[in-house]
Amino acid sequence: MLLVVLAVTFLAFASMNFLGDPLVNILGPIADESSGPEFAEIRAEARAEYHLDDPFPVRYARWVGDLTQGDFGRSFKNQQNVRTVIADKLPVTILLMAYAQLLAIAVSIPWALWAASRAYRFVDKASTVVSFGMLGIPVFALVVLLFWLFALYWQIFPTRFDDSGLGPRLWSLTLPAISLAIPLIATYQRLLRTDLISTLQEDFIAVARAKGMSTRHILFRHALRPSMFSMLTVFGIQTGALIGGSLVVEQYFGIPGIGRAVIEAIIRDDFPIVLAVVVIMSVLFVLINFLVDIAYTWLDPRVALND
Amino acid sequence: MTELWLPSADPTAEDEKPPLALWRRLGFGFWVSVGWVLLVIGLALLAPILPLEDPNATGVGGRLEGPRPGLWFGADSTGRDVFSLTIWGARISLVVGFIAIVVGLLVGGSIGILAGYFRGLFDGVASFAFATLLSFPALILAILITTLLGRTVFWISISLGILAIAPVGRLARAQTLVFAEKEFVMAARILGADDRRILIREILPNVVVPMSALALLGMSIAIVAEGTLAFLGISVADGLSWGKQIFEAGSRATDLQTGPHAALFPIGVVFLTVLSLNFAGDRLREVFDAKELSL
Repeated sequence: MLLVVLAVTFLAFASMNFLGDPLVNILGPIADESSGPEFAEIRAEARAEYHLDDPFPVRYARWVGDLTQGDFGRSFKNQQNVRTVIADKLPVTILLMAYAQLLAIAVSIPWALWAASRAYRFVDKASTVVSFGMLGIPVFALVVLLFWLFALYWQIFPTRFDDSGLGPRLWSLTLPAISLAIPLIATYQRLLRTDLISTLQEDFIAVARAKGMSTRHILFRHALRPSMFSMLTVFGIQTGALIGGSLVVEQYFGIPGIGRAVIEAIIRDDFPIVLAVVVIMSVLFVLINFLVDIAYTWLDPRVALND
Repeated sequence: MTELWLPSADPTAEDEKPPLALWRRLGFGFWVSVGWVLLVIGLALLAPILPLEDPNATGVGGRLEGPRPGLWFGADSTGRDVFSLTIWGARISLVVGFIAIVVGLLVGGSIGILAGYFRGLFDGVASFAFATLLSFPALILAILITTLLGRTVFWISISLGILAIAPVGRLARAQTLVFAEKEFVMAARILGADDRRILIREILPNVVVPMSALALLGMSIAIVAEGTLAFLGISVADGLSWGKQIFEAGSRATDLQTGPHAALFPIGVVFLTVLSLNFAGDRLREVFDAKELSL
C-alpha cells in the first residue's frame, strides 16, 4: 500500500517536472535566457529557492522528505504556503463528500431493503429502472438540472454557498451533496438489492421466519449485515468517483473547496498545489480502501480467521 | 410489509427459457438503445451536409428564444441554434469516447493478456502499474495528463485512453489467467504450438468477446469524462462539445431561469446517449457473462 502511494507521488512529480519547465511556470516569460541580462539575477534566485539546479532524484527525495513532515512547499504563483491553502480548503470538501456519502447510505439501504423484500414484483422492477436511469446522468448534467429545478424553479435551496455558520453552510451544501449522492444511491441500491435477494434464500432466514420473527426484524437484524460486502467494496471505489464529482460540483456551485483550488491551480500551472492535491486525494483514496478491508472483519468475523 | 416473500429464483432468468437466437436474447431495449446511439452517430457524421444552421452563427434565433418549428431546441443566450450546437457537439464527444476506448482496449488489453500468460516479473510490474494508475482518482489523473500534454482532440482522447488502460488490463489479465489453465490450451501446447500461436489463436478469441462487450460501457465512461473536462473548461480548447454547451447554457443563473431549454435539451441528449450505451453494454455483459468495468 505504501509502495503504491510512493509510486503515485513519483509519477505525479516526474510528469510535472518533465512535461513542462518549472522555471517558466514560476516566472513566466522572463524565465527565458534570451529575455535579457537584467532578469538573470531573478532567475538565479528562483532557481536557488526552488532547488531547480539539483538533479531530479535529489529534488524528488527532498520533496517527499518535506511531505512526510507535512510541508507541501510554496505556491509558484503567489508564494503562499501550500499547507495553509490546503488546510483552508480541505474541510469544506471533506464535509461535502461525507454529506453526500451519508445521504447515499441513508437513502439506498432502506430502498434496497424495500425492493429486495418485493423482489421481481412490479414495484421492484420499476424501482430498478429508476435506479438504472439515475446512473445514466453525468454529474455535470445533474448539477445544472437540479440547480434549475430546486434553486431557480421551485426556489427551495439557496443559489449560493453560504458560509455564515454551520446551519446555513449545511443547508447550502444540501443541493451539491444531492447531486453527488444520486449516482451513489443508484450504485449502492443495485448492489445491495442483488446481495439481499441471495441472502434471503439462505436457511437461517427461513429459520428466523419459522420462529415467527417479523419481516422488519428479519430484514434489518438478519439479512442486512451479511449482504453488505459488495456495497462496502464499492464504497471504497466510489470515493474516487466522488473526488472527481466534487470538482464539478464545487466549480458549479461556487464552493471554496479543494476541487476549485486544484482547477484554478491547473489553469495557472501552479504545480505545488496540484501536486499536493493529487497526493492528498490519492492517500485518502488508498486509506479509505484500507479501512474498507478492515470493515470486512466487522461484517463477517470469519474473514479474519481465514487470513 | 406484512409478509416477506422469499424469492426462490428470478422467474425471468435466462436459463428457464428455451434458448433463443442471440438477437432475440439481447432484447427489445437493447436494440432501441443501439438505434439511438446509431442515430446520434449518424447525425454527428452527417452534420456538415445536413441542412443545419452554422453552430457558431449568432442571432439565428432571438436571445434564449424557445423551441419552434425550424428551431427545434430553441436558441441560446447569443441566439445560436441549440439543435445545431447539440449535433456538432456530439462529434467531439463521440470521437473522444471512441479513440479513448480503442486505446484502452489495445494497450490495456495486450499488456493484460501478456501479463496473465507469461506471469513472472512482467506480470508483477504490470499489476503494480495497474494498481498505481487505479489509485489516482480518475478525474484528477485525466486533468493532470491533459494539462501536461495539451488540449487538443488527440491528446484528450489519449489521456482518457490512458485512464482506461488499468481497468481493461486488469480484466484482460484475469480472463487470461482463467483460460491459460484450460485443457484446450494445454492440448495446443502438446500439439507443438508456440506461445505466439497459443496467444493469438487460443487465448485472444476467448478474451476479446467479453471485452468487446465492455467497450460500450467504456465509451459511455469516456464520453462522460470528456463532458466533465469540457464542463470544467479544460477539454478541447476551441471546439463544441456537450459538456461545454451545458456549462455555457447553465452557468449563469439568470440565463438558466429565462431560457432553461438551452441547457435542458443537450442534457436530455447526453442522458439518453449515456443511458443507451450503459444499457446496451449491460445487456451484452449479461449475455456474455463478463465482469464489471469501472473507472
